[in-house]
Amino acid sequence: MHPISYLQAIVLGLIQGVAEPFPISSLGHGVIAPQLFGWNIHQNDDYFLAFLVATHCATALVLFCFFFKDWMRIFRGMGRSLRDRQIDPADSDAKLGWLLVVGTIPAGVIGLLLEHPLRSLFASAASAAAFLILNGVLLLVFERFRKRPPRPGDYLGDSDSRIAKLSWRQAFGVGVAQAAALVPGISRSGITMGGGLLFGLSNEDAARYSFLLATPIIAAAGLLKLPELMGSAGDGVRAQALVGAIAAALTTYLAVRFLLKFFETNRLTPFGIYCIAMGVFCTIVFAF
Amino acid sequence: MTKRRNLIIPAVLLGLVFVAIAVVYFVEPAGSLPSFFPGHEAGSSHHHTKHGIAALVVAAACFVFAWFQSGPSSTAAA
Repeated sequence: MHPISYLQAIVLGLIQGVAEPFPISSLGHGVIAPQLFGWNIHQNDDYFLAFLVATHCATALVLFCFFFKDWMRIFRGMGRSLRDRQIDPADSDAKLGWLLVVGTIPAGVIGLLLEHPLRSLFASAASAAAFLILNGVLLLVFERFRKRPPRPGDYLGDSDSRIAKLSWRQAFGVGVAQAAALVPGISRSGITMGGGLLFGLSNEDAARYSFLLATPIIAAAGLLKLPELMGSAGDGVRAQALVGAIAAALTTYLAVRFLLKFFETNRLTPFGIYCIAMGVFCTIVFAF
Repeated sequence: MTKRRNLIIPAVLLGLVFVAIAVVYFVEPAGSLPSFFPGHEAGSSHHHTKHGIAALVVAAACFVFAWFQSGPSSTAAA
């Protein structure tokens, strides 16, 4: 008997692929879904962590490939700035690249230090449901207190040059806030999109910034834990992890495409309402 | 943003300190870490590799910051 069936792997992979770019907490859904479906899978089981490594690596790979041309421009810009020992204010690729670094470092460091204790502390499905409600409220708050309302044509023109107008302090703040997503139920992409809105970005620019910011942090988290998948924890789940990763890759691609189009004219509000409704529903179900 | 050249040496020194901290985390088990280090656990033989990686990342950030501060002063820097 395998600890995760192929059907479970596909379902969990599909959920991970959608919930990672959507601002609805993939980790929270990864905790809640097995409990809702009555599966004997627990957040802190070694084999489940090994399985999650594969789906996260797939998500990061798809995000990187989706924005491959952008990443190449960003890398070249960062290379230029390192060579010149300065960031040309007109070089939005370089500025964006270093903003992503400044946003990634605090989240990465806090994640490395606190991931295990936080995961252990908030591993239950009931707490994930409660934090999902909080995540929904946060999304609504971000929309309520955004720096400026959406305008027609917000999505036209060069998105990167608009994102590159963020300050270092703002990028650092978003990076620190990202660490809240270590708690199952709080969405990393929700926090980063919300931060972007608070600092004056449009929904589409905030989503793009969020996806770019997601790539290194998810990839690093996945690669750091790859030995777990290759080690004894991965015994019996590697094939299922591969199936789950393919499912996650497929839905991540579709979700990113959908969201970039969706946020041209829409807001975070529907996701906030969904999180609150789902969190309340799960809280009631888990209580009985 | 103006260059702060007076921060170059402190940033390099801080980077070196974090490199040293990273080495300690990589080499010493949790039980042998200085008691004021995060992750110290008396008697534990576990190596806090992730803490070491975090320290290396911060060290790299310090060096990059110093590098940009040492550049030409005419335009913005990191």
